[in-house]
Amino acid sequence: MSVTQNAPANTLGLPEKLRLEARLDKARFNPASLVLLAPATVLLLGLFLVPVVYAIYLGFTNLQLIGLHAVNYRFTGWANVNTLVHDATFYQSIWLTVLFVVGSGAVGATLLGLVMAIAMQDCLRLIRQIAGALAIVAWTLPPTTIAIVWKASSTESGIIPTLLGNPNYDLLYDQAMLIVCLANSWSLAGLAMIMFSAALRNVPEEILAAARLEGASRAQTLFKVTLPMLRSTIVTSALLMTLLTFGNFTLVYLMTAGGPGNQTNILPVYSYLQGFKFFNLGYSALLGNVIVLISAVLGGLFVLLGKQRR
Amino acid sequence: MTREIQPSRSTELPPWSHLTPNKVNRWSFSKVFSNIVISALSIFFAVPMLWLALASVDKNATFQTKLPVLTAEHYIVSLESGNLAALRNSLVISLVASTIGTVAAFFAAYSFSRHHIVWKGPILLGILFLSGVPITILIVPMYEMFSSAGLLTMFPTAVLLGVTALPFQIYLIKNFIDAIPRDLEEAAYIERAKTWHVLWSVILPLTMPGLASAALFGFVNAWGSFLIPLVLISSDNQQAAPVRLFGFVNATSIDYGAIAAYSIIYSLPVVVLYLALSRQFKAGFVLGGAVR
Repeated sequence: MSVTQNAPANTLGLPEKLRLEARLDKARFNPASLVLLAPATVLLLGLFLVPVVYAIYLGFTNLQLIGLHAVNYRFTGWANVNTLVHDATFYQSIWLTVLFVVGSGAVGATLLGLVMAIAMQDCLRLIRQIAGALAIVAWTLPPTTIAIVWKASSTESGIIPTLLGNPNYDLLYDQAMLIVCLANSWSLAGLAMIMFSAALRNVPEEILAAARLEGASRAQTLFKVTLPMLRSTIVTSALLMTLLTFGNFTLVYLMTAGGPGNQTNILPVYSYLQGFKFFNLGYSALLGNVIVLISAVLGGLFVLLGKQRR
Repeated sequence: MTREIQPSRSTELPPWSHLTPNKVNRWSFSKVFSNIVISALSIFFAVPMLWLALASVDKNATFQTKLPVLTAEHYIVSLESGNLAALRNSLVISLVASTIGTVAAFFAAYSFSRHHIVWKGPILLGILFLSGVPITILIVPMYEMFSSAGLLTMFPTAVLLGVTALPFQIYLIKNFIDAIPRDLEEAAYIERAKTWHVLWSVILPLTMPGLASAALFGFVNAWGSFLIPLVLISSDNQQAAPVRLFGFVNATSIDYGAIAAYSIIYSLPVVVLYLALSRQFKAGFVLGGAVR
């Protein structure tokens, strides 16, 4: 049977081995892919996956930055986990992380960008361009610069306390979490605005015209037509802002270093402080593992939503 | 029929002529409201940057925002040898990181786009997931690995920074290659072109906007990174600009003017790159900058 089926292949003079597999309509393995994938594979394995796996192991050791356990560290089993469960700072840190990520990222930056994109539609050209340019510049600034300008404007004698009427008020010390959240939203809103502006241009004009024809007020058009059509962009933006905020160690560390009194000690900052200030690299790695777990959940959500949209 | 009616229309006014057409309402409530909201938000975005601009040229700069006594000395201080060297280090690190990431991502993206790869879907999902992982988690294991190998220097750090951008770059470039019709390649393959030849003369020119966005992303990602150089570069004269800048803030006698001037010099390349290139690439660009 099979011999008769492959008779044409035989006439082409293909080698014995290929004769049965040579079906040109099926996707086949291409040896070139090995060469092309090699650099990325080596880099990602060596400098991304292996370190993450290594970090999981280090999280269960008593590794220290300096001193006796810097070299002679050993596996300590659940000792670090035990510390973690009884660590009040850790629980506070989780709560602050959620507050920071959801409050200033998912909600704050998304809302700011959405309001800007919608209000900009009805704006004078000049005002619209100024606002857009400022928001985009704020977004492109490197994190270190963002931290410095916000520290300068919110600390004692800075411009924000001055505008509020009391230059001697150290807003950054008194309302540290609020200011850090504001700074984060400030730096991300430009991106959200770009996303929403693009999405608003894709809302078909006919639907808006139909709503107007039916006598819908502007508010009704906004809440019953425009916003529902932006729903998927809102979800995408919220998740993207969540991920970007979650990794935003630099901003918080440079503005407050987790203080005053752990008030802004979000998880990435706490992990860094445990490792490089208190020298507990092992415990720091365990805190890093918690971050991996949380971002795995967030990443899973992101992928899931990305699939649903297609 | 039509000939009988038409003359009457041209001479008489229609029955609805007493109604004036709807005026385009130039100043409705919502327009006024929108303008006020956007003006207020402009002020919100401008206020923190205002200090930066003013303090950088103010002789007596503090954290106060006030009219400056003009001077250029802060810019001169910012460009003295040590500070300039830090900027140069940052430039080298970012260029190396961006090049490594973009080249590796280009090859991988072509293979993912065109070749048959086992478990392609899950692998791509894994890569997408990696692009969202905060790099903070790499700090402890990388420090352990680099310090025991004696690699706490500039170039290993640059390679690591390149890798942190790699997952997103692969995704970005793959989207561009997916959009290229296969006919061109197939024509080349029929002419017995080799894979590298197709990559170089067919795919590369057509993917340029994607590659530029990916390279820009890699560059900005490395340029802005503070934590990785801070921990992984031990020698002061190899240190990157953001860490140097932070050193100004923590110094015993704070030179506010120099902080502001150096911040501006350090930030300007990134802002200019974004603004200059965003016009050129438009759609794909929004994605390219989506994750800093």
